[in-house]
This record gives sequence, structure tokens and C-alpha cells, in this order.
Amino acid sequence: MKALWLILILLALVALAALPWYGSDVVIQFGISTLLLAVLAQGWNIIGGYTGYASFGNSVFYGLGAYGVAIAMVQWNLPFGFGMAFGVVLAVVFAFLLGIPVLRLKGHYFAIATLALAQVMAAIVSNIPLAGQNIGLVLPPLNNDRLFYELSLGLLVLATLTVFWLTRSKFGFGLIAIRENEEGAAVMGVNTTLYKVLAFALSGIFTALAGGIHAYWITFLDPESAFDISLNVKMIIMAVFGGPGTVLGPVVGAFVLSAISEVLSSEVTSIAGLFFGVVVVAAVVLMPRGIADVIRRFRTSGWRYFAENIKAHRL
Amino acid sequence: MDLLAQILVNGVLLGGLYAVMALGLALVWGVLNIVNLAHGAFIMLGAYLSWHLFTYLGIDPFLGLPITAIVMFGVGYGVQRGLLNLVVRAPMFNTLLITFGLEVVLTYLAQLAFSADFRTINPSYAGAHVAFGPVVIPLARLMAFGIAIVLTVGMWIFLLRTKLGRAIRATAQNLVAARLYGVEPRHLYAMTFGIGIGLAGAAGGLYGTVSQINPYIGATLTAKSFAIAIIGGLDNPLGVLVGGLVLGIIESLTVAYVGATFGDVASFGVLVLVLIVRPSGILGKTA
Repeated sequence: MKALWLILILLALVALAALPWYGSDVVIQFGISTLLLAVLAQGWNIIGGYTGYASFGNSVFYGLGAYGVAIAMVQWNLPFGFGMAFGVVLAVVFAFLLGIPVLRLKGHYFAIATLALAQVMAAIVSNIPLAGQNIGLVLPPLNNDRLFYELSLGLLVLATLTVFWLTRSKFGFGLIAIRENEEGAAVMGVNTTLYKVLAFALSGIFTALAGGIHAYWITFLDPESAFDISLNVKMIIMAVFGGPGTVLGPVVGAFVLSAISEVLSSEVTSIAGLFFGVVVVAAVVLMPRGIADVIRRFRTSGWRYFAENIKAHRL
Repeated sequence: MDLLAQILVNGVLLGGLYAVMALGLALVWGVLNIVNLAHGAFIMLGAYLSWHLFTYLGIDPFLGLPITAIVMFGVGYGVQRGLLNLVVRAPMFNTLLITFGLEVVLTYLAQLAFSADFRTINPSYAGAHVAFGPVVIPLARLMAFGIAIVLTVGMWIFLLRTKLGRAIRATAQNLVAARLYGVEPRHLYAMTFGIGIGLAGAAGGLYGTVSQINPYIGATLTAKSFAIAIIGGLDNPLGVLVGGLVLGIIESLTVAYVGATFGDVASFGVLVLVLIVRPSGILGKTA
């Protein structure tokens, strides 16, 4: 059974990796943005799904990664790779500086403290001359969608392997213990502050790398698009829809929702955003543990599964 | 000195409005234990409702406030009864998520219905002002402030003195005991949420007279309302009023002395600072 899964996943991966050689330009571009969104969902999964700290401000890391690449390439004329590293450094510094105070907060306090982060960072960045203030930065163009596609895929694989490692390492068990019972975890000897900040930083690193790739691909960056709040919406919804706290759930969620939203927005423009909102409302009511749980339990309970979820939580 | 006086007056006027915004959020949070992330979106809807009443029916924004509040009360009652009651006993994260989803839905519906253009409610007396020595007070802001005070104090009296108010406070303290005394929780939760959203609607109407509205103002207003509720605590509407004034004054000072774009940064800084130093609020006992 396990071997079968492994073969299936490898086959899917090969098919995905070969896509730029048989897909059209439109498909490749859709692929890049979907893969990057999947990275964001997987990054959120580390802090939101495994550690149980619902961050509504992860797009800040995305913006930092994007600005890291843009500043390095435009202002300092350094190569892309250095920019990515610079973005990661920015994200890690931010995760530690802000994470240490903010991660002391629990549940909804933490969620709201992160909610306004993106707006605040956009306001700060638009006052920094090095970051091009309100006007933004224009990066040197590189017309190589295949490269961007493979980079994004590689990043997604790396993020997913990291999450897989979480499910079988002491660090990952510590995070799950914090999610289930933080006081209990502390009593058992988990350094909760350190673990939470590390999880926040790890989540930030992947998000920042995705932001860096996106900035170089789009070749333009301004505070509004870098700290785009709707990205928070998407990454959380994709992770929750697929199944937070599972290895493949967020990736599946990102692929499924991106595909549906792409089809919808080609039919009726501007309906895609509405779609995400409706999905999250329906998902919380009908399937709060994500697709992964639906697949597992649908076989035994059938359609009653959804009614049982409502019954369990209604007043 | 004159400048400082003017800034402080502006801050106080803004703070009164902020207090009304936060009032509904604090009520819903305190009683239902739901942090409503769509609160700002409901404020935005209230603002658009007022704008439509004024622009198409010629109803003065201040006289139209009761209409806005009642309509929004109905919306709130329906949302709680039909949707949020289904997830009230789920973990906190689920109620956060569902209200987050609501905020997204409301924002996009508003964008589809009203377009992304900036709008202002501009009654004939919009430019009028009263002068106290060197300090100038715009009439519309003063009226908004007055109504804000009336609403806050009215809310306080309502919770203390009326039967419904007592039922709401009893439910906040102990749902099981309240049930034993004949409180029907589904209805009472919906009433409470309805009142919260009605207040949000009224706050939106007031906001539209002093500031610009567009479909995207919701998230910032939610964060500000939350900051105020945290500063003031959830026990008492008067605490929320103090929280609103504190935030209003800090924001006005920041905008005047640091820079216009730093207003939101300041209110967020206050939020994080208060959360870290005193999570139960400056005045509150419970949160």
C-alpha cells in the first residue's frame, strides 16, 4: 500500500515536472501561479496546521521575499540567487523580531495581531526609498517560464518534504504537542517559545522564497501587490480546504481550488474572490477537517458525514 | 499649542466614532465568544446603505441612521440564526475562519454591486464648522461624535436596565444557568449578533459622513475595532468608549507629527503593545 502511494506520487511528480514540454504557455503560467500558491498553503500549514497558530499575516513574508529579490537585483545589481537569500534573511529576522512577542498570544489574540500586519508593512515599505516607496521597483525581465515553473515545483517539493519531515521528527512532534495542549507540552519539556518561533520562521522562509520567485517572474513590484491581503485569504482557505495538519492536504487544496477558480474566472471575471469566500464558509460548516477527512470518513458515513459535522457544532 | 489643541480635538472626535465601531464587536465577542472578523465588512455595508439612502432618496445621513441600524440588525439576526449558530460550539479557529470567509464574501459582493470607486456622503452642511477660539470643529464630525456618545451610553443603560440586556449579560456569564431561567439561546444569540451588527451599521453611516468609503475598508476597521475592544475590555461599553478615545488621539498625534501614512501603523502598534502588556485590557477584568 505504502509503495503504491509512493509510486503514484512519483508518477504525478514526473508528469508535473514534464508539463512545460507539452503544455501551452497559458497552462505553464497557470502552473507557476498554482505551484506558488501551493507553496504558500504548505508554508501556512507549518504554523497554522501543525502548530495550531492561525496566522492571518503570512503574506508579510511573501512581501519580504519579493522585496529581498527586487532590492538586491535592482538597487544593488546582484544576482537572483543572492536576492532570494536576502529575502529569506529578512523573513527570518522578521519572524524572530515579531514572533517572540506575538507568539506569546493565544488563539484569536494571535490571529488578530497578525491580521493587520500586511497593511502595516505596506505602509512602512511605501516610505522606504530603497524599496522604491509607493512607485515600486521594476526588475530586469527574464523570459523563461520553464525555469520559473521548475523553480516553483522544486520549492513545492522542498516545502512538502519539510512538512513530511515534521510528521516524524522530534521538532514536528513538539509542534503538534503545542497545538494539542501548550501547557502540557511545556510540562513535558518542550521549549514552546523556541519551537513556535522556529515554526513561524520556517513557514516564513518558504513563503518568502515563493514571493521572490513571483517578483522575478512578474518583474514588477509595489507595496500594494507585494503585501496583497487576498493572498492570506487564499493560502488559509487552500490549506483548510485540503486538510490542515496533513502532508498533502494543502497541496491538493491549492490545486483543486486554483483549477476551479481559474475556470470560474474565465467564465465570469471577478467572481473568483467571491468563490473563495463561499468555499471557506461552506467548508467550515460542512467539512471543518478538510478533504483529507472527507475521503477517510465518507466511505463509512456517506452523506450523513456532512450532517454529523453540523450536528456536532450547532447550538 | 493651538495646533496641539486642534489635534487633540480631532482625536477625540475620531475616537467617539471608533468607539461605536468597536461596541458591536466587543458585545458579540463578550457574549457569544465569537471574534467577528467580518465586523468591518458590516460597517462598510452600513456605510453604503447610508450612502444610497442619501444619494437616491435624499435622506439625511444622520436622520437615516435608524433605518441603516434596523436593516443591519435584520441582516445580523439572519446571519447568526441561519449560519453562525451552526458553528458556535466548534473550536475558536472555525468561528474565526467562517467570519473571515464572510468578510471575503461581503467585500466581493460590495465590489460587484457598488464598484471599487471611493464614495463620500456629502450633505449640504459638510463644509460647515464651529470655531472655539483657534480650534475649528467640523459640524458633521461633531454630530457624529455626539451620536456616538449617545449610542454608547444608551448601550450601557440597555445592558444594565432592560430585560433583554440582563438576559444577554446572564448568557455571557453562564449559558447553562441562563437557559434554566428560560433564555432561548438560539434567539438570544441572534438578537445579540443583530444588535452588534446594527451598531456596526450605524457606525458605518457615521463613518461615511467623515471619511471616504470603498469595499476594502473592512479589514482595517476590524483590526481597529479589535484594538479598541482590547484596550477597553469587554465588560462595559464605557470602557470601549475610553478605548476609542485613546486610539483616536494616538492616531491623530501620529498623523500630525510622524506622517499621514503612519496612522494605521500606530493603531496596530498600540494593539500589539496592549496585547503583550495586558491581554485582558487596560480597564477590563475579563477578556
